[in-house]
Parts: sequence; structure tokens; C-alpha cells
Amino acid sequence: MTSTAPRPVATLRRPYPPVRLAAAVAVAALTLVPLGYVLIFVVAEGPSQAADLLLRPRVGELLRNTTALTVTGCLACAVLGTGAAWLVERTTLPGRRVWTALMAAPLAVPAFVNSYGWVSVTASVQGFGGAVLITTMSYYPLVYLPVAAVLRGMDPAFEDLSRALGNGPWRTFFRVVLPQLRPALLGGVLLVGLHLLAEYGALQALRFPTFTTAIFDLFESTFNGPASTMLSGVLVLGCLLLLVGELRLAGRARVARVGGGVARAAVPHRLGARTPLALLGMAALAVLALGVPLGSLGRWLVVGSSTEFPIGLLATTTATTIGLGVAGAAATCLLALPVAWLSIRHPGLVSRLLERSTYIAGSLPGIVVALALVTLSVGYLPTIYQTATLLVAAYVILFMPRAMVSLRAALAQVPPELDDSARALGARPAAVLWRVTLPLVARGLGAGAALVFLAVVTELTATLLLAPIGTATLATEFWSNSSSLAYGAAAPYALLMIIVSAPAAWLLTRQSRREVVA
Amino acid sequence: MWRSRQGVLRSGIARVVTATVAATALTASLAACGGASGPTLTLYNAQHQDLAQAWIDGFAKETGIAVEVRRGGDFELANQILAEGDASPADVFITENSPALSLLSSEGVLAPLDQATLAQVPARFNSGAGDWVGIAARSTVVIYNPSLIAPDQLPKSIIELSGPQWKDRIGIASGGADFQAIASAVYTVNGDAVAEQWLTGLAQNAKVYQNNIAIMKAVNAGEVPAGVIYHYYWYKDRAESGQDSSNTELEYFDKKDAGAFVSVSGAGVLKSSQHAAEAQRFVAYMSGVAGQQILADTDALEYTVGDGVPQNPALRPFSELDPPDVDLNTLNGPKIISEMQRVGLL
Amino acid sequence: MTQLSERPQQRVVTADGLRVAGLQKSYGPVPVLHGVDLAVPAGALTAVLGRSGCGKTTLLRLVAGFDRPDAGTVSIGGREVAGPGGVASPEDRRIGYVTQEGNLFPHLTVAANVAFGLPRRARRARFGVSALLELVGLEPSYAKRYPHELSGGQQQRVALARALAPEPGILLLDEPFSSLDVELRESTRRAVAAALAAAGTTAVLVTHDQAEALSLATRVAVMRDGRIVQEASPAQLYRHPVDRAVAAFVGDVVVLPATLRGGVAECALGGLRVAAALADGPATVLVRPEQIALDAGDGGVPAHVLDIEYYGHDAVVRLALGAAVEVTARCPGYALPAVGERVRLAVQGEVGVEVTGAPVP
Repeated sequence: MTSTAPRPVATLRRPYPPVRLAAAVAVAALTLVPLGYVLIFVVAEGPSQAADLLLRPRVGELLRNTTALTVTGCLACAVLGTGAAWLVERTTLPGRRVWTALMAAPLAVPAFVNSYGWVSVTASVQGFGGAVLITTMSYYPLVYLPVAAVLRGMDPAFEDLSRALGNGPWRTFFRVVLPQLRPALLGGVLLVGLHLLAEYGALQALRFPTFTTAIFDLFESTFNGPASTMLSGVLVLGCLLLLVGELRLAGRARVARVGGGVARAAVPHRLGARTPLALLGMAALAVLALGVPLGSLGRWLVVGSSTEFPIGLLATTTATTIGLGVAGAAATCLLALPVAWLSIRHPGLVSRLLERSTYIAGSLPGIVVALALVTLSVGYLPTIYQTATLLVAAYVILFMPRAMVSLRAALAQVPPELDDSARALGARPAAVLWRVTLPLVARGLGAGAALVFLAVVTELTATLLLAPIGTATLATEFWSNSSSLAYGAAAPYALLMIIVSAPAAWLLTRQSRREVVA
Repeated sequence: MWRSRQGVLRSGIARVVTATVAATALTASLAACGGASGPTLTLYNAQHQDLAQAWIDGFAKETGIAVEVRRGGDFELANQILAEGDASPADVFITENSPALSLLSSEGVLAPLDQATLAQVPARFNSGAGDWVGIAARSTVVIYNPSLIAPDQLPKSIIELSGPQWKDRIGIASGGADFQAIASAVYTVNGDAVAEQWLTGLAQNAKVYQNNIAIMKAVNAGEVPAGVIYHYYWYKDRAESGQDSSNTELEYFDKKDAGAFVSVSGAGVLKSSQHAAEAQRFVAYMSGVAGQQILADTDALEYTVGDGVPQNPALRPFSELDPPDVDLNTLNGPKIISEMQRVGLL
Repeated sequence: MTQLSERPQQRVVTADGLRVAGLQKSYGPVPVLHGVDLAVPAGALTAVLGRSGCGKTTLLRLVAGFDRPDAGTVSIGGREVAGPGGVASPEDRRIGYVTQEGNLFPHLTVAANVAFGLPRRARRARFGVSALLELVGLEPSYAKRYPHELSGGQQQRVALARALAPEPGILLLDEPFSSLDVELRESTRRAVAAALAAAGTTAVLVTHDQAEALSLATRVAVMRDGRIVQEASPAQLYRHPVDRAVAAFVGDVVVLPATLRGGVAECALGGLRVAAALADGPATVLVRPEQIALDAGDGGVPAHVLDIEYYGHDAVVRLALGAAVEVTARCPGYALPAVGERVRLAVQGEVGVEVTGAPVP
């Protein structure tokens, strides 16, 4: 039900409400703290110092590894995610509902648990090949979900026309379907790339050195030494490159509403004799992505010699994790509100800049953000150093984009005329927000909160650096056990992490049914 | 009507505030009554958590003082303490190897220990400046898989490991403080020129693992023929099920080779500590008879260093080791880190 | 509901419900309003009629306070709300606003929607909701429903009730019927007009539909290119439009060149009476098709029928007067000529005149 009258240009030129603008600027400034820190540091060190620290064969090796992993991983996820989405959504593959759930399920299994599952079974998975395999298995749902959503809502008329013009099915796919998939595909690939740049736990267990693992190693040797911050600078550059590339390629179509109704549903392609092959392929994917880690987890729970169930410790760790998850989700959603509101209600250069800056900051790896916050708080803000406040601040910076996407989508569905109606009825701007806007975005807010919760539960590197003394989360306890190769002791923590993050992962799949998530 | 509403509001708020204050006071008094009889120490611990926990528990039983722990690596925690400066919450710092303590000592952030504490341990295991004391020791060893390498092919000196015959055949955990301590011993014993060459060659040859346990497992599984670790990992695994060491054996260097280096795990009190007296007590406890006995009794399987406490009988007797005479105060931690960056291990 | 029914006696009669003077507004380089002057009588419904893009929605938004004018003043009920002295925000202007879509709050029931603008205690008591629903022609049982359970027309009625609840000084309606299905439009229009009349609220209705404006409003202002070109009663507007554009906008019109001589316009259809006293000279007459009768007898102008469009209740007949001039006439459906038949035409009643430069009284 969209407005049929052309909206006057007026609404784009209203002056920004001052309080909300100030709040949004404050939030954007907070999220830019790590980026600013890295940039200032790199500049202050000077080019000769930077050259010393960066122009080494080791850095060249890290660069090769990181680039190779990112490019290969992104490609693999793109192909797998799109292929699986096509099979599930557009062919006569049986068991569609089951496959939909299975394809999205790896979201509930953190990548470092995935690699633990593999490494505890066989050592041959170490190195580049294993790294690509495991990270692809962990992150292909980030491509699968948005692509599947677009395929579901796509108008089949274009494909029919293409076939009528004589193009075979493959040509039709590449020339007609793929261009329509481009924004969703590129958005998903961007997310995969950013995850790969930030990945630590999985790659450390696989003995595959990248920038992030090297930064962590340096941290363990020098705390906040210059070398680690320099490497962070290179990593930041990589992230920015990815962001710019995605912007160029995908254009401005970030969030599109799928729900206007398709003229008619697409006729699924018949697989016919190829059905068993397709089923085999999908089953193989599910086994690799889910079966091996979950199976290995189960085995260690039952058989592992160091398996123990210290109920008290498990309970407190779970409680801490959930508590941090809830606090992180609440803080992030609250702080995302002014920026999201401004970007939807007052689209313009300033609000776009503010929104983009939070997105940029959220693309930085956890280690960079944590390192920056550690150094800043140790030097300038000792009162919050080693407190849960600082940790939650890191979560806010890292995961604001997730809350923003949901919040913006929900806000976009609330017509601005509702605000006008409420104001005409005598409600002050604050009352309009409280009585009209917030109740209507509650659902989107909830989805965003769930996304952030999922991210906090599975977050490792920032928590390792910033957690207050005596605070342990499921992720850090799992990590300390699995690093000592006490696989059995690590297993209960992994299981609890999966259980705790499963509901949020489910919500993520439901949300992506309604729209394309960039 | 507005005024009386205000009045109701005010009295309502007042009631809530009073209740909160009362509840807090009650809880605080309860905590003071039934809880620890003194302050809580903050320990920055780079040692293995189970060993440190054994000491903490024993200390709590004897003195009733509770200890909170922050875990990390030797240099991670040492540099963190330096970055934190006077605001550091750390009272006591325990390391796995001594170079991190030497770094803090040279920066002047460690408090002098009581003479009585230092007297409990032979002087060669302590800081020359009297600001940290040894509490455990470990010997460098080569762990090897006999089915992949014969005993006569094992190196006679750790310097041999940089030779071309060891390409991809030796495992090290270069990111950890353990290896960094061993490397610093090589620099001290053999001089910079030899050591730099050795480190460069080793960087080309070695397969890098995450930690010593990973090396042990890899050697056991046959992924790599040999590795450089500390002795107690092997003993610990053998004491449990042996599943990660059953295919391996240990080889000790001798003739005062740098590879026979015995690293000392130490403890110190921070000058910035708010609970100096209790901190000194804790360090005294660990280096005293009671603490060293705990070390000998647990399955930590490191060597005790205190006077008057026998070694754990499961270990190779300490007198049979032939370590080089290394002045622990000369092991230069930061230099090793920059050297490792130079050769590309960090 | 006592308040509304008592209102006509209690109300202080002010000169105008709304007065807009010299209002100008540009968006960037594009000027939208070029100096709008409008006076809306209190207690009655005035329509602002114009095509899309003429600026009527902008005018409404300026009156409502959602935007600030570049120049000019707006006074509601005698109180200046926008002008050189300052601009009041919408929540301070005591206006009612009904949008094209109604925009009921989807998370609130009908009753909560209607009570939205009331002060908090009245809101809790759902004060007067049933009476308002009755006013707009809805059963009180609708109060518990949610907006998505109502039809478009019902939603618009609730939107009106919601806007009336806080007793605004003026009600502003922005094309409220254009998103409704045609069948709903008529019944909803009638209900809204009746409710407004009963409530006695000053109302301004913005629309592009001339049938809507002429049938509902007591005064109609025609807007074109950011200016009010004519403001009059519906009858006056229809019979005496100020120029051919206005004439064509509010109905079909036959435009003929003529010469004015002593109050009579001589043109191809003969001598026509004009309403205004104008100077002699060339002019253009604006004749409505229904004014042209086909059975004038011998005194009429000869013409022959070119073709007929039959609509059942009436028909539009295209006629040729001689070689060059074509006119259209409307005649009742029961008295149709045949195609090609020769008829005699005469114009009944006064006709409008477009004289460039001379204003129409």
C-alpha cells in the first residue's frame, strides 16, 4: 500500500531535528574510535617506521595468505550459496523445507567450533585447503540466505522470455537471473569477505597464518606494541577496499522489499533423472558443513577422556554469555535508533555519512577494535579499562550494522505520513517516537537484537582481549580448552554455544524471508 | 491536587531509595561477615591454570585470602602491566619463564621481595635485583617419534636445528613465551652472531605450531619427526592416558648446550599493588615449603626449586640435567621478540 | 456528546476560519507557490481544486505547519501561525489532518486511534469515541477492531473521527478519497460531508476531482501553477469561470470567439447574454454543452449532427455550424437527434466570458 500521490521534494529538505542529530553524531563518533585510533597511530609512526614494520617477508607471506583465502573463500561461498539456493528454491528438489533449515543451520555453529570439529578428527585439514574448506562451510549461508530470498520473489517472466528467444537454461541463468541476483549476491559476498578478514579462531587451529592471527600472536608477545597496530592498519585497508568494491558493484540497491507480490509463482525446473545427483550434492554439503562438526562434537561429549561437566562453571559461563549477549543487544539497538531514524526519515548527505560510518566501523575485525579500545582505555580512560562496559562498547561498535539493517528495514515500512498525522493530532516529536514509531518497529528491533545476540555469543577475539578479570564466556572457555587440545573438555561449551545461538539463527533465516539483507 | 501528587511521588521515591540503601548495607555487612577475612588479591597468571589454582587454593586454606586471576601469556601480561602503569590492578605476577619478569624488573615496576622469601630458593633461580623469586623450573627437551627418526640422527646441539637436514622436520611453538625463553638462552650462551644465524635457519626449517601440546600431538601422530618443547608436557600426558605421547620419546641435551636450558618460572609483587603485605605473603607461600610441596604433589610435573623439598619422583632427577650456566637476568625478552620479527616468525 | 453539539452557540464568530496571504514557497530553484491568497469562511467546507503539481498539497502542508513558507502569512481562526513573527509547529496549531491513505496507526484499535489526540485522561476513558464513530457513520462496535480489518472507506471515516476528536480549529483533508474504489467514494464522500456539517468545523479539502469539489464544498478555489486563479461558489465557478482553462477544468466547455457589444456577445451561436458588464470589443465566450438546446425552432442557428456519444442518461452530440465551426452539446437521452440530421441551436442562460486583462467581478 504505497502512496500514489507524488511526494513533494519538501520532505527531503526538512532541517534535522537537533537532539536526534546530536545523538546520531555521538553514536557515529563512538563507532569511529577504533578506525581513528589506527589511522592516527599509523600516521604518527611515520613512513620509515611503517616501512620497517611492514616491508618484511613475513608480511608478504601474510598478505599472500590473507588475499588467497579471502578471494577463494568468497568465490567458493558465492558458487555454493547460489547453487544451493537455486536448487532449493527453483527446482523440483524434494524435501525443500528440510533443506532450507539445513542450509541455514551452519549459522548457529561458530567457525572456530567448526574447525575444532575437523581438526580433532584429522590433521590433514590444516593449511590453505582446509582453511578454505572450513571457512566456506561456515559462511556460505551468508550468501545462501539473501540469494534464496531474491530467487523466491523473482518474476519468472524474464526467464520465460529468454527461453522463448532461444537461450538455453545456462545462458538464461547467466544473462537474466544472475544480474537480478547481483545486489543480494554481492552483499552476501561482502559479508563473507569481512568475516574471512576477521577470522581468528578457526584459522589458528588450522595453522594458517593471516593478518588477524599474526596480530593476535603479536598481541600475546607484546600486548599493544606498534607492530600489531601496523598490521591492523593493513587489515583496515583491506576491509575498506572490500566495502568500496561492493558499493561500486552493487550500487545503491541495498534493502529491497520482497513482498509486493509476484505476478505468478515460477514453475520449478524439473530435475528428473538428475534428482539423485542433486540430493547427493546437497547431502554432501550438509554433511561437510554440519555433520562433521556436530558429529565430532557429539563424539567428544561421549567418548572424550577429558570430558567433564563442571556444572557450576558451565552454568556461570552460560549465564555470563547470555548476560553479555542481552546487554550487547540492548545497547546496540538503542544506539542504532537515532542513526537509523535519521537515515530513513531525513535522507540526505549528513545522515548517509553517519550511517556509512557506523557500517565502516562494523566491518573492522574484532581484534582491531579490541586493540584500539585496550590502548585507549589503558592510556586515557582507566576507569572503564577491564570492565564489562568496555567490552559491551566493543560489541556495539562491531555489531551495529546488524542492528541497523533490521531497524532501517522496519522503519522504512512505517510511512512518514503517520508521523505527520500524529503531530497534527498534537503529539510532540518525542511523543510521536514513543507512541507511534517505536511500537511499529518493535518487531524489526527484536530481529536486530537477536542478530546482535547471536554475534555476541559467538564472538571470540574481542572478548579474549577485553573481558574483565574473572569473566569467562562460553567462547573463551571453549577456546582455552581447545587450544590445550582438551577436546573433551571443550565439547560442552561448544554445545552450549550452539544451543544458545540457535534461536537467534532461526530468527535470522525468518527475517531474510521478508527481505534481502545486504 | 498536583502538589499532593508530587508529595506522593516524592515519598514513593524516598521509600525506594531508603529500601535500596538498606538492602545494600545489609548485603555489604553480610559479605563482610561471612566472606573472606581480608582483601582479594589480583593475580596476573601466565602459568598453567591448574598449577596456579592449586597454589591459590592452598594459600586460601592457610590464610583465608582469596585470589582473582587474569590469564594470559608471559609477555602479554608483562606488557599489559607496563601499559597499565600505576593504575594496574595486578598485585602478583606469575610467569612460566623468567625473561618477562626480567623485563619488569628492568622497568622498575616490581617491589623488592622480603629477604626471608628469597632465602627459600637458591640464588641462581632468583632475580639478581631481589624483586622476583623462582617457583618452578622446566627443562628444554627434544620430543621425537622413533619410527620417523632414529636416536643417532637426533641433534647433539640445539644449534644443529638450523641446518638444511632439518627442513620441515622440526616443530616449534614460536608464538609462545616458552620458545622465546629458549631462544633467548641461545643468544646468551652462544652469542649474537651464532644465535642470529641459528634463528634465521630455524625459521626456514621449522613447522610452527600453536603451542607445545600441539607439537607433542603432531610428533605423536607422525606429522613431524621431532619438536622442541619443555619436559613436563610429555610427563603429564604419560601420567594420564598417554594417548598423545605413546609414540614419542624425549631426548635431553647435555654438556651445557643451550638446548639443555632450564627455564625458571617466577613470581613477583608489583610496586603499584594496593595489598602489598598480602601479596608478599602469597609469593612467600609459593616459594616456601608448603607451596613447593604442592608443586611436587600435583601432576604439574615441573621441577621444584625451593630448598628442602624433594622432586617429584616421576621426573628425571634434577641432578642428572646438565644445563648451561645462564644468568637469568641477562635473558633479553624484547630483543628476542624483535629478532623473531626480523626472521619472520612473528 | 455535548461538546460538539454545543459548539455552534458557544463559538465566537471569527471573520475567517483560515486566511492565507501572499504565501510563497520554493524547493531549491523550483518555485511552487507564487503568492497564494485565500480566505476560508469559518464553519464551512472549502475545496482547493487543481491538477497534480499545481501546489495544492504544498499549500496544505504549509497551513498544517509541516513546512515553513518562504514569505507570506497563515492565520487560523484569527491567530497568526506562520509569518514574519515566527512559525508555530503543527502540534501547536490545533489542526486536524486527514491524508490520502488515512494513515491510521496500525498498532492501535479504532478506539485508540480516535482517542489518540485527546489529553491523557480523556484518552484512557475513551471519551466520546462512540459519539464520534456515529458522527462519521460507523457502528460503535467497530471501536475494538484494528485498521487492517476495515475497508478503505471505513478507514477514512475513522481517520476523520480521529482528526475531529481533539476539536481542531480547522480540518485539512488532502485528497482523502482518491485512494478509494469508485463505489466506496460516493458513500464515503457523503458521510464525510455530513459529519463535517454536523460538527460545524472549518474544513479545507484539497482535490483534483472537480465533481468532488463542486458537490461537497460551499466555496471552491481553483489553483493553477501556484496561484489561486478563481475563488467562488460552485455555481458561480461553473457558470462564470474566469478563463477557458478554469472552464475546461470544471467541466466540458465550448470556446468561441465573439465580439462584445452592449452586454451581448455576438458569436457563431448568435447573440449570447453575458453576466458581467464589460467593455465592448473582442472576447471569447465559454459555453457549456448543456446550455445548447437542439430544438430552437426557426430563430436558432442551423447546424447538422456529426456524431453522437450515448451515455444512457444523456448524450454528447457533436455538431457542425457551417464549414469551420464545431460545437458539442449535451441533450437528454430520451430526445436524441439522428446522425446527419439538421437541427437549430440556441443557447440558454448566461455564458462566461474570457477577456484578457479584465478581471471578472
